Amino acid sequence: MKMEEVSMSSLDNSKLEGVAQDILSDLVEDACLGVCFEVHRAVKQGYFFLDDTDQDSMREFEIVDQPGLDVFGQVYNQWKNKECVCPNCSRSIAASRFAPHLEKCLGMGRNSSRIANRRIVTGGNNTNNKSESDQEDNDDVNDNDWSYGAEKKAKKRKSDKNPNSPRRSKSFKHKSGMLGPRRRTDNQDGPHMLMNDEGFSQ
Amino acid sequence: MRATINQKLTEMGERERLKELLRAKLTECGWRDQLKAYCKDVIKEKGLEHVTVEDLVVEITAKGRVLVPDSLKKELLQRIRAFLAQHAT
Repeated sequence: MKMEEVSMSSLDNSKLEGVAQDILSDLVEDACLGVCFEVHRAVKQGYFFLDDTDQDSMREFEIVDQPGLDVFGQVYNQWKNKECVCPNCSRSIAASRFAPHLEKCLGMGRNSSRIANRRIVTGGNNTNNKSESDQEDNDDVNDNDWSYGAEKKAKKRKSDKNPNSPRRSKSFKHKSGMLGPRRRTDNQDGPHMLMNDEGFSQ
Repeated sequence: MRATINQKLTEMGERERLKELLRAKLTECGWRDQLKAYCKDVIKEKGLEHVTVEDLVVEITAKGRVLVPDSLKKELLQRIRAFLAQHAT
């Protein structure tokens, strides 16, 4: 009995295996036929060879697979360390800083107009009209727009003192609440400046 | 017995699922592109104007069967066997 059962089940198994193989064969054939019909239609409709060009062009535009190059064959970090000469001030600037520098140097771009506006406002108030010589390095000037007067006056004095290193003015980093040492000598407080005429002329 | 199995396979949607799975995997492994490249050769040989469906079918199915990777065949067979084990007896 047991022997028969074993042989019966192995027969079943081989049958099942045969069935499984057949099913697989059907599926593969289906996939192949799918490709056939697609290709045949493409041939008859004329678009099968559409993406081919002549051999020379194909070789020319082949994907590049070398280290240090992108797929087009270009060197992609070629200008990381290069320096450019500014046409305006003739200084040598690092490539990644070049665009912001040009913005300030040429007086174009959003921030440059803000600096210019501020100078217009304080230009009528201060007889001492020494404008900053190094426009492009005054990134700190552009950080806070709301309190024109205090900053400008304090800034003016700072810049008079240090025309070549405006970045040392650390007091401007705390504009929202704290006032720098310089400002206490004025008779004005930061936020209230807006009420005074001199601080905010329109 | 085979007929019932096939019927069940279709009715339960397993046949469609297997078809889709096979198609996706074949595309993924580059089988389709290989086969299409082979088609190009066949067509260039027979002449673009004179190619018939029969020509293509004969050549392509034969080549296509051969090109299917063994790992993929094994994977599908496993799935089929699992299905049969569950539903065939």
